[in-house]
Amino acid sequence: MTPAPSIEINSVSKWYGSVVAVNDVSFNVMPGITGLLGPNGAGKTTILHMMAGLAKPSDGDIRVLGEPIRGNYKLYSRIGVMSEHEAVYNVFTGRQFVEFSAKMQGVDDVPAAVDRAIELVNLADAQHRPLGTYSRGMRQRMRLAATLVHDPEVLILDEPLNGTDPRQRLEFHDLMQKLASEGRTILISSHILEEVETLAETILLVVSGKLAAAGDYRAIREKLDDRPFQLRIVCSDPRKLAAELVKLSAIDSVAVEDDGSLTVFSRNVAELQSSIARLAKAADVRLIQLEPLDESLESVFSYVVSR
Amino acid sequence: MDPMLSLSLRQVAGKRKLAIIVLLAALPIGLAILLHALVGDERDFDVRFPQLVIDGLLLGVILPIVVMTLATPAFGNEVEDRTLNVLILKPVRRIAIVLPKYLASVIVAGGILATAGAAVVLIALGSGGVQAVFAIAVSILTGVLAYGALFTWMGLMSSKALGFALVYVFLWEQFLTRFIRGIRYFSVREYSLSILHGLDDETFSVFEPRVIEFEAAVTASIIVIVLFFFLTLRRLNRMDIP
Repeated sequence: MTPAPSIEINSVSKWYGSVVAVNDVSFNVMPGITGLLGPNGAGKTTILHMMAGLAKPSDGDIRVLGEPIRGNYKLYSRIGVMSEHEAVYNVFTGRQFVEFSAKMQGVDDVPAAVDRAIELVNLADAQHRPLGTYSRGMRQRMRLAATLVHDPEVLILDEPLNGTDPRQRLEFHDLMQKLASEGRTILISSHILEEVETLAETILLVVSGKLAAAGDYRAIREKLDDRPFQLRIVCSDPRKLAAELVKLSAIDSVAVEDDGSLTVFSRNVAELQSSIARLAKAADVRLIQLEPLDESLESVFSYVVSR
Repeated sequence: MDPMLSLSLRQVAGKRKLAIIVLLAALPIGLAILLHALVGDERDFDVRFPQLVIDGLLLGVILPIVVMTLATPAFGNEVEDRTLNVLILKPVRRIAIVLPKYLASVIVAGGILATAGAAVVLIALGSGGVQAVFAIAVSILTGVLAYGALFTWMGLMSSKALGFALVYVFLWEQFLTRFIRGIRYFSVREYSLSILHGLDDETFSVFEPRVIEFEAAVTASIIVIVLFFFLTLRRLNRMDIP
C-alpha cells in the first residue's frame, strides 16, 4: 500500500494585490527527502510559508500529516520549520536558544533533548557562546538544532545551506540522510541545483510561481543537460578557431561577432569542454577568455519550463 | 519561569534600554527635589507642583515615552528581525505569546515608574501620605497597562508604530485635549489623571476642573486594555508572518 503523503498541496495560489506569487500549485510530499528548487523570487519561500501555516493561501488547500496547518498550533509539535532568514535571539547563547525551543515545544527531558540536538549539528564546543558571536554557518546549524530538538516527523527547511562551508554541507547531507532513513519527511528548498540533486530523490521545480516539473531528479537533470549551451570565446584569431570548431559534431553553430569574439552554440557541453583547448593548440590560436553566456539559473529553469 | 516571559523580560530589560528608562524615570524625582528645595515654601507650591511635575512631566511625557520605548518593539522588533516565526512555529496558543510580551513591558515600566511616582509624591507632597502614594501608583499602573496594550498593538500593526505613538501622545493627548473637551474621554493620560484625582481628591484637588468622572476613567481604561489586547491577539492570528 502506498503511504499517505505527509504534505498535500491542492490548487494553492497566493497573490498580493495584483501580484501573483504562487499560481495554482498542486503536489504531494512523501516521506524521504524532497528538494524544492527554483531561482530566487520563484515563489519557493511563499510556498514554504503557506505549508508551515505562516501565510494563508489566497486559494486552495494545504494539509500536513492529514490536518489543515493554518491556525492548527498543536501540529507544530510534529513538524519542524527552519525559515530562510537567519533570525536568532542575540540575548541567548546557542544552548539557551535550543533550550527555549525545547521548552516551548513542551519536550519532557529538556537537557537531554538539547544535548542530543546540539550533538547532531556538531556544535557542543560552541554551545555556551552568545549567538551574536557565531559565524553565519554556525548560526544556521544552531537553528537547525532548535528545529530538531523536539524530534519532528516532518522537516521543512528553507535554504538551510546558506552560509555553510563545504565540510558543513557534507555533515548536513549525512544528517539529512540519517533522518530520512528513520522515516521522516524532509522538504529542502534551494536555488542551487547541485546542492539538492545529491540529496533529494524527488525534486519539485518552481519557476515564476508555478510548478514547472516534479519527479525524480535524474529525469529533470537529463532535460537540463540536453539544453543548448552558449559560450563566448575571445582568442587571438577568431576566424581560424571558428573554422576548426565547426568541424566538431558537438557544435551546432559558431558566430563571429562585431567585437571579434566568437559565440558558440552547443548541445554537448562535455565534448565542447574537452576539445576546445586541444583545437586551439593545434590551430596555434591563443585562448584569452571563455565565458558561458546563459548559465544563470533563470535561463536553466526557463529552458525546463519551455520543454 | 515561563520561557516566553523569560525571553520577553530579557528583551525589554537590555542594559542600555534599562539605563535610559531609569534615567527618564529619575527626571521627575530630580525636578521634585530641586523645586521642593528652591520654591517649596511658596504659597501656591501645592497647586503648581502637581501640575508641573506629576501631570506635565510624569503622566504627560515620561509615562507614555517609557511605555512606548518598551511596548512598540515587543512585536515590532520580532517582525523586523524576522524572529516572529520562531515563536509562531511552536505548539502554543497565540495568547501564550501575546500575554508574556505585554506583561514584560508592563512589569518593567510599571515597576520603575510607580516607584518614581511614589518617590515624587513623598519628596514634594509629604502631606498627602499613604493615600497619595497609593493614588499615584494606581494611576501610573493604569496608564502603563493602557498605553502598553495600545502600543503593543501598534508595534504589530505598523513598522512606523513609534511615530504613530508619538503623534497620539503629543498631538492628540497633549494638544487637542486642551481645545476639544470631549477628547478627554479618549485619552489614556486623562484616565490616569482622573483616577489619581478620584483616589485622592484632597492632595490632587488642583486637577478638579479638568478631570473626567472617576467611574468613566476606570471603565474606559479597562476597555482600552481589553480591546487592544484582543486586537493584538486577532492580528497575530490573522496576519501572514514574515
